[in-house]
Formats: sequence, C-alpha cells, structure tokens
Amino acid sequence: MIVRREIEERTGRNITIGAVYATLERLEAKGYVSSSTGDPTPERGGRAKRMFRVEAAGNRALQVSEQTLHSMTADLKGRWETI
Amino acid sequence: MSRYSPPAFACRLFKTVLPVPYRGALLGDLIEEYNLRAEATSASAATRWFWGQACRSIPFIMGSSLRNGDWLISVSTAVGVYAVMGTLKLAADFMIAKLVAPEPTAYVVMAPIVFLAFTSIGGCAAARIRFGTAVFLALFVMITVAVQIITKACTIPVPWWYEFGFLTLGPLSVLLTPVAFGVLKPNSNES
Repeated sequence: MIVRREIEERTGRNITIGAVYATLERLEAKGYVSSSTGDPTPERGGRAKRMFRVEAAGNRALQVSEQTLHSMTADLKGRWETI
Repeated sequence: MSRYSPPAFACRLFKTVLPVPYRGALLGDLIEEYNLRAEATSASAATRWFWGQACRSIPFIMGSSLRNGDWLISVSTAVGVYAVMGTLKLAADFMIAKLVAPEPTAYVVMAPIVFLAFTSIGGCAAARIRFGTAVFLALFVMITVAVQIITKACTIPVPWWYEFGFLTLGPLSVLLTPVAFGVLKPNSNES
C-alpha cells in the first residue's frame, strides 16, 4: 500500500495495486528485491502485510538506470531554453 | 475492527483471480486502504475506489500469470475440462432432443438452460483447479459458439439475440459463477 501511494504521490498518476504487485513480483524473480511477511492485523481483515526490500542487485540496476536516464536527458534543458 | 466492510463480490473476484502467494497481502492492502478512505470520505466513495482497483488490477495480474508460464498449465487443464464438459453437454442435448423435448420450440427453450447449467458447472470445476483454467475455458466456449453461429449449426430458425445470448452469457457464466459462489482451489486459503 505504501509503495503504491508513494508512486502516486511522486508521479501524480493513479496506480492500481495489481500493477504494483505484478511489477514487484517480476523484480523479486530477478533478484532485485526480496519480500517478507509481517503479522496479520485487524485493520487488514486479519491478513498479513508483505514488505519488500531492495537488494544489492536492485541497487546496482537502479544506479545503471539513473545514469542512463541522466545521459539521455542531460542536454534537454539547454535545448528547451533555446526554443 | 472497522465498521466498514468492502464489497463482498469484489473481494471474491480478487480471491478467485489472485495467485496464492500474493492473495492475502494484496487483499489486506486493499481492505486497509478501503477502511482509511471510507473514514476519510464515505463508504460509497471507498466502494467505488475498491471496485476500480479490482477491475483495473485484473489485466496486470493475468499478464503476470502469463509471463510466469502458468498459462501452459491453465490451457492444458482447460482443454481437459472442456472435453469432459463438451461430452456431457452433447449427451444432455441428445437426451433432450430425443426424449424430453422432441419439438423444436421446446428444444429452443431447453437449450440455453442446459447450456448455461453446463458452462456454470464447468466454470466452477475449472476455477476449482485454477482461475486461469476458467479464463481459457471461457475463451474455448466463446470460440465454439462463434464457430457454431458462423457455420449455422443450428437448423432451427432463431433470432439474432438468441445466438448473441449464447455467445456472451456462456463465457460470462464460466467466469462469474465461480466468483459468485466463491469457488476456489482447495489449497488457496488466504495467506
């Protein structure tokens, strides 16, 4: 729930919980994140919370993605200012 | 415990569709946020949000199942259920045509009842194995009806809406009957 809300707040887009879980499942299968189950609570109808943690491989992949994104958009601001 | 409770049918839909490892956690997330939204706004607004989440999440969950390779098992089991269901339906059709309703008018009335009964039972049996099986079974039913309409397999003249009813209600009964009755695979208790 926190992951979904965080994405919604940062992107301003309405995200479905199914999309978040499907993505997290893929990331877990690739070893980028790991998950553990918490204790069931009454607020959740007696269901346990699933908590995700970014693994070292996930951090490395994030760094690569961030660098790629940065190199792709580095000159954009300069171009916009000349228009 | 909250005084609000999320829509039961949407919960059943989620329970039926979701893969077992994520079922409890995902449903718990939704119920927790439903309660927060119901307290902050209103129960009806929270219910609308819950239904929106349920309907929009299903394509992602189905896509995830397909990527995992679950579809191959689902297709195989759907073929098995379809074969059994088809054989029993043929036998029932034969019995009705020869014994119970030899008149064309009576057959036209009996046919959709038998068809929907078999698709509902088939849907429940398929969903009992896994929900993906029910999805493929619904697809098989739709293709079968479409082929029968195109090839004009029914020799009795019937209006277009009669055939359209078979085409739409057949697959829907396969998918919605197990959801309505909460039929799940035996080991799929909420984790």
